[in-house]
Formats: sequence, C-alpha cells, structure tokens
Amino acid sequence: MKSMKMSRQSVYLLSITIFLLIFVFLFAFFILIPSGQEYRLARNETNKHAAELSQFEQLNDDTNGQLKSLQEKHRSVINAFANTFNQAKFIAENKKYFQNLTVSKLTKVDRETPFDLYEVNATSKIESPVVFYNFLDSLNKSHWVIGVNFPIHFQKEGEFIVSSFTMRVYNLNDDINESKTAAKKENSTTPAPLKVDVNLTEE
Amino acid sequence: MTRSYINPRSKQVISDEMQLVLLFFTISIAMLFLTYGFLKLKIYTFEESVVRIETKKVELKNSTLKMQHQIQIIEQESDRAEKVVTENSVLKESVKNLFDLVPDRITLSEVELNKNSLVMKGTTPSKEVYEFLLQAPLRSIFNNTYTSFYQAQNGWLSFVSTNTLDDEELLK
Repeated sequence: MKSMKMSRQSVYLLSITIFLLIFVFLFAFFILIPSGQEYRLARNETNKHAAELSQFEQLNDDTNGQLKSLQEKHRSVINAFANTFNQAKFIAENKKYFQNLTVSKLTKVDRETPFDLYEVNATSKIESPVVFYNFLDSLNKSHWVIGVNFPIHFQKEGEFIVSSFTMRVYNLNDDINESKTAAKKENSTTPAPLKVDVNLTEE
Repeated sequence: MTRSYINPRSKQVISDEMQLVLLFFTISIAMLFLTYGFLKLKIYTFEESVVRIETKKVELKNSTLKMQHQIQIIEQESDRAEKVVTENSVLKESVKNLFDLVPDRITLSEVELNKNSLVMKGTTPSKEVYEFLLQAPLRSIFNNTYTSFYQAQNGWLSFVSTNTLDDEELLK
C-alpha cells in the first residue's frame, strides 16, 4: 500500500476548505434562509398594508370630496344651523309684520329632541291674515331654521287679529355637542335656560 | 562553503497561494455576513414602514370617520331644513285655504288650529248660511264636525265649530 503524503500547506488548505464549507452550509441553513423567509414575509406584509393604506387614502379623498361638495351645496343651510338664535335680531327683522312681538326661550320638554325650542307670541295689526303669510315666507329666508308649530291661535281684538303660535328654532350646537353635553351633565354645571322677553310696540 | 546552487529564501508560515485562498474565503464569508446584514436591515425597514403605515391608517380612518360624521350632520341639517321649509309652506297654504274657505257673510272671531283639529268661533247671519257656505266644505275636510249656535246681540247667530280628524291625519 502506497502511503499518501501531503504537504503541510495542503493539509492547511484542506482543513480551511472543509471548515468554510461546513460554515457556509450551517450559516445558510440556520441563519440566511430563515432570514430570507422573514424578509419575504415582511415584504409581503408591508405590501399588504401599503395596499390597504392606498384604499384608505382613496376612501378619505372620496369622503373629503363628498364633504366639500355637500358643504358647497348646503352652505346657507349650514350657516343657518350654525347661527345662534338672536332674539333681538329676530325681532328687528320681523317687527314690520307685528305690532307687538314677544319672544321667550323655553326649556327643552322633549329630551329626544336635540333642538332648542323658542316660543313666539305675536300680535299683528292687520285686516287680513296676509301679513301672517308674509311672515311665514320670511321665516324660510331667515338667518335661522325656524318652523312654526301647532297650535296656532287667531283671535279678533277690535281691528286687530291677535295671533299666537309657537316656533321651533333649530340649532346645530346640540347636534354636534351631544357628547359634550353628556360631559357637561357629568360636571352638573348645566347653564340655566335663557329666558328673554322683548316687547316692541309701535304707536 | 556553499552547498546549494540557489540563494536561500525566507520561509513563510502561510504561502502566497494560501494567502490567496484565505483572501477568497474571507471575501466569501464577508459576503455571507453582508447578505445577512442586508436582509436584517430590510426587515427592520419593512417593520418600520408597517408601523408608519398603521399610524397613517389610523389617522386616515379617524379623519374619514370625522368627515362621514360631518356629512351625516349636513344631510340631517339639509333634510331638517327642507322639512321645516316644506312644513312652513304647507302651513301657510293650510291657513290660507282655511281663511279662503270662510265666505264674506260669515265673520270669524277666533280660530285655533291644531295638528288634527280646528276650532272656529264667529257669527253668521243665519244657520242656513253657515251650513251651506261653511259647514259643507268643512265636512269634506274633517271626519267629525260639530257646531253649536247661540244668539248674538246684533241679531246674528254666534257659532262654535269644532272639527277633528279621527285617524290622526295631520293638517300639515
């Protein structure tokens, strides 16, 4: 049997080669490949989230467009609901219809109704109810959203017709601040309801 | 005394060939580690992106919900305003029709208009005039009509007419 002689350099080379081979295999199988899988999963996850984000952005843009369009379309209505009812201004605008106008704010009777309710007692110096019709027309063009409510009472007093009815003034604040109202109730610092009586008499 | 034909050269523990091989191996191992480092960096970047995307998604979702709430409020406002305007217009027409219904010969002194009832007080020259000119059209509108008469000071008849709707059909 012929003995195989290797030089020292060859032994070194062979040892290092075997070591490198083992190292590469171990590194690849136990570190690189799992990392690659983790990388792929992370990339897919990121792509998935990016796609969802894109959908959210699209929905947000669409909603924003819809909101802007509605705000533009209903600007006057939005402003009317945002305006706080001003008794003095209301009386100043409508005193031409009435001889005597009393406006008093009532407390909310119905808790399910999130709107302020104002009662208006009006006395008009008219020979026919045409003035009342004009007043109803003017309500639809006023700075607030006001609906005349039943009962409506007309009574003849000399030359005049005394009209008495209630009006509902709708205000946005209660709609938006429902949660705030609840918070206020917790603090039990609910402000006292405003009660204003204004009498205007033109001689 | 010279025993070799060549000049002695210095012996190296690692030969030039071995150095070359070691360099090659070192580069190979370095590339493996670089690959590993690259993967880890990318994974970290992806995870950071996911966190950022999630944050933005939450912001967008909140923003969208807020806008949808605003849209809902505007739609409610619009519906409410339209309803109020319609009700005012209908009310105006109802009152107008009611007063148009009353003939010149009959004088009203008091009217009370409710959701499902109408009470009228006034004077009429005679019961027949009232029944013919006012009660007939009132009967066509209301389910129940009841009228009582009593003598007025000027010789005419005063009347109180109570008219109701049974099925809660609103005047509006």
